[in-house]
Amino acid sequence: MAEPRRFELAISPHVISNLDTRRIMYDVAVALLPALAAAVWFFGPRALLLVVASVAAAVLSEYLSLKFMKRPVSFVLDGSAVVTGILLAFNLPPGVPVWLPVVGSAFAIVVGKQAFGGLGHNIVNPALLGRAFLMASFPVLMTAGWTAPVNRDGDGTYSDTHGIPVVELAGVPGADAISGATPLNVLKQSFDLDSGAGAVELEGDRAGADEMRLKAASMRRALYGAGTLKNLLIGKRGGCLGETSIVMLFLGGIYLVLRKVLELRLPLSYLGTVALLGWVFGGGGWFDGNPLFHVLSGGVVLGGIFMVSDMVTTPVTPRGRIIFGLGAGLITMIIRRWGGYPEGCSYSILLMNLTTPLINRLTRPKFFGEVKKNG
Amino acid sequence: MSLAKDLTNGIFRENPIFKLALGMCPFLAVTTSVENALGMGAAATFVLICSNFLVSLLRNLIPSKVRIPCYIVIIATFVTLVDMVMNAYLPELHRSLGIFIPLIVVNCIILGRAEGFANRHPVLNSVADAVGMGIGFTLAMVILATFRELLGSGTWLNMNVLGRNYANQPLLIAILAPGAFILLGFILGVFNILEKRRGGAK
Repeated sequence: MAEPRRFELAISPHVISNLDTRRIMYDVAVALLPALAAAVWFFGPRALLLVVASVAAAVLSEYLSLKFMKRPVSFVLDGSAVVTGILLAFNLPPGVPVWLPVVGSAFAIVVGKQAFGGLGHNIVNPALLGRAFLMASFPVLMTAGWTAPVNRDGDGTYSDTHGIPVVELAGVPGADAISGATPLNVLKQSFDLDSGAGAVELEGDRAGADEMRLKAASMRRALYGAGTLKNLLIGKRGGCLGETSIVMLFLGGIYLVLRKVLELRLPLSYLGTVALLGWVFGGGGWFDGNPLFHVLSGGVVLGGIFMVSDMVTTPVTPRGRIIFGLGAGLITMIIRRWGGYPEGCSYSILLMNLTTPLINRLTRPKFFGEVKKNG
Repeated sequence: MSLAKDLTNGIFRENPIFKLALGMCPFLAVTTSVENALGMGAAATFVLICSNFLVSLLRNLIPSKVRIPCYIVIIATFVTLVDMVMNAYLPELHRSLGIFIPLIVVNCIILGRAEGFANRHPVLNSVADAVGMGIGFTLAMVILATFRELLGSGTWLNMNVLGRNYANQPLLIAILAPGAFILLGFILGVFNILEKRRGGAK
């Protein structure tokens, strides 16, 4: 005889939403597909191979860790490992060997996620942790694997990994010296030239210093040129696999907003801060940077749409989300302008991930009727 | 307690690193290679044995109000000895261990055993305890250093183990600071699993 159905009491809220982990994760994965298509278009089928290897390694290590820890193996189907795998591959240069994303994904899942207790307990974004791990372990592979996008329009508008088309490049004296780098690398080179010019001037070589400054300024002018910005927008430049095609990333972002998975506060405050600070100190001097260039180059759009908005590792309160975006934007721009790396997006998000519990506590909403402690 | 029990106490049951979590600073810092780990372990073990011996010998003479300064003076004496001997006969090792040799003075294991064991046990037991703790500390260092050196440079005791291809492209993070913490976490996890199994069998 079947047990009589018990009368069940549940605490509020009583609204049932169909927004569960699996739906969210597969929505995110779908939203990443346009950028994947762009990566395959610009960097060839190898890009797909890297992504597939990364996802396979992520899912397999998720399965093995769950098995080892005797937790329900069905968690592997919630899609979070798939998203981590795609995001990790998106953060790698296209020229890396296939084993690199495999090692990175395994580390991201085992150490970054499962060691902390699985989805919802990880303190930092696993994909970014995997990237930081690879960056510390294989610095040469991670900074030299840039490949130029496939040249599909003949030689006339061919652009190298830095994405600056020939027309714009003509204005830079000795332009050969800036090949084999990403746009942000070129920006960093121009900053280095500027500080080098100061040293040369101290030695008394006024003319040499002026020449270096002129070259730095012309490099920046080429980067800010309309042709370069257009290339950056469609993704025709060197860079990490999934970060280059801004249009496709925004397409995915719009899909996520329509599906109510992406809340706009985080991306907007992050990208807004990057743009504002890009104008304030992102150029050679003060208030002469190009905000558009700073948003389009590097990985801030990928980070801003898909990683700043990771639900586990970012604040839950509305005010907290804005603070998070401001902080991450500030750190990104400080690293870009004065740091050792050309791009600071991933480290900025990792650092802000660590402050998330503090931000949550700081911005905890007041209960109705609650009185300030020493008010 | 019997001598044998005092001796084996530090190796597994109360392993200073894995169970007491003492002396983490040199443990994480110098385990980049097995050679460094052995050197550090030997130095710490020597100081541990000597200080435990002397503290136990003088335990009824040292007024308890000033016992910590007295321990520090005793330990510092032996550390200075080790420092000078190492500098004279093993200059290479001395250079790679650097500041961590003088820092043995404030090593928690040595101070902890002086305060927690030698202070209230007879000389022979104290020496046995020091030997056990020293072996346990060295063993723990060698275990972590083995993983770090193998992964981080593909060698073990400077012998190429994993081949030239690996040595050209090693997992650099293993010999950096984060690698030490990550690997320590894993080793502690394995140690706890072993402990649980042993407890379950009883």
